[in-house]
Amino acid sequence: MSVMDVFQQGLTAAQAMGWMQVLLSFAIAQQSLEHLARGDRMIFVPRLILCVVMGLGVGGAWPVWGLWGISLAMLWRYQGPYNGGSDKMTMLILSCLSLAHMAPTPFWQEMALSYLAVQLVLSYFVSGWVKLVNPEWRRGEALCDVFRFSAYPVSEGLRRLADQPRFLFVMGWAVILFELVFPLSLLDPVALKLALLCAAGFHFSNACFFGLNRFFWIWLCAYPALIWFQDRIFG
Amino acid sequence: MLRLFALFLPTVIPSWRFFKTVAPSPRIEYRLISGESKGRWQEDRPRPEHLGGWQILGRMLWNPDWNEQLYLVSCSERLIEAPSQHSIDEINLRVAKALPAGSGDLQFRLVFLSREGKQIVKLVEYESAPVSLASLKGASA
Repeated sequence: MSVMDVFQQGLTAAQAMGWMQVLLSFAIAQQSLEHLARGDRMIFVPRLILCVVMGLGVGGAWPVWGLWGISLAMLWRYQGPYNGGSDKMTMLILSCLSLAHMAPTPFWQEMALSYLAVQLVLSYFVSGWVKLVNPEWRRGEALCDVFRFSAYPVSEGLRRLADQPRFLFVMGWAVILFELVFPLSLLDPVALKLALLCAAGFHFSNACFFGLNRFFWIWLCAYPALIWFQDRIFG
Repeated sequence: MLRLFALFLPTVIPSWRFFKTVAPSPRIEYRLISGESKGRWQEDRPRPEHLGGWQILGRMLWNPDWNEQLYLVSCSERLIEAPSQHSIDEINLRVAKALPAGSGDLQFRLVFLSREGKQIVKLVEYESAPVSLASLKGASA
């Protein structure tokens, strides 16, 4: 099978759910181990055990429902997300997977997966749109400010990138344009896979510059839903 | 129950407005107080000057300290937007945990950095009540 064949392949709903559960078991285990290093064993030991169970593919839907319940407990424990958007995405994927497992008919299962796929597309498009309508982003100043004084750069040395306004202007516009055109990739299975590779690269760079490692892993977990969705709607 | 629902709803109907604007950015500063003697304000967990390529790659898999720091940024923002004892306790406990054991009190303040023209300005937006460091260390153990 050539690379092109792989890129043109879609997924069935069951395959997409299976892939998401395997990827989720890794991503949530990674989060849980980081938490365990800080304490909070009451929440994160059970969470880690459920990840292993889900990763091994045993227990059917129960580990997914268990992880959903624990994510709810985490929202209460931290009075909101611990890690911003990555916790939100974790909860969103678990909610959609939980509903897909509970769905009485394939139609409702597809609705749950479609909701996740649409939210994934919106996560890029809305993020691009709010930047486009902000003059500071259009002028390239916003990305300079991110490096100059925001809490995100992982080292003081990285702040010197704020002194490269032309480079950040180009990078800022590259991010805005990529996020805005991302939905168009749904029109073709190969374009979608390439767009997902670019998106993964974008998350990887955010992890390197801003320490957002959990975003990288958790966004990958939702990609099978979008690959299934593209095939289901446009395939 | 209503509170839990309010926390849950934004996770299933997220706004996805990442970096809509670059808002004033919080830093946590703390000082130790012993009787009448007040120590100088110090930044909590200052970031390193430089990170090597392998360190950055390693953080893809293991980044608990930085993720806790991002959580403290969230707590700082929440403390200004909607003050709560939860945010104060979380900051106190996690700042204390990173300090060596000692007597006296711990106090923290939130400094927000923003840009005005070409200048970066610092504004102290919150100063906590001093809390016994020993009791915080005991609670976080």
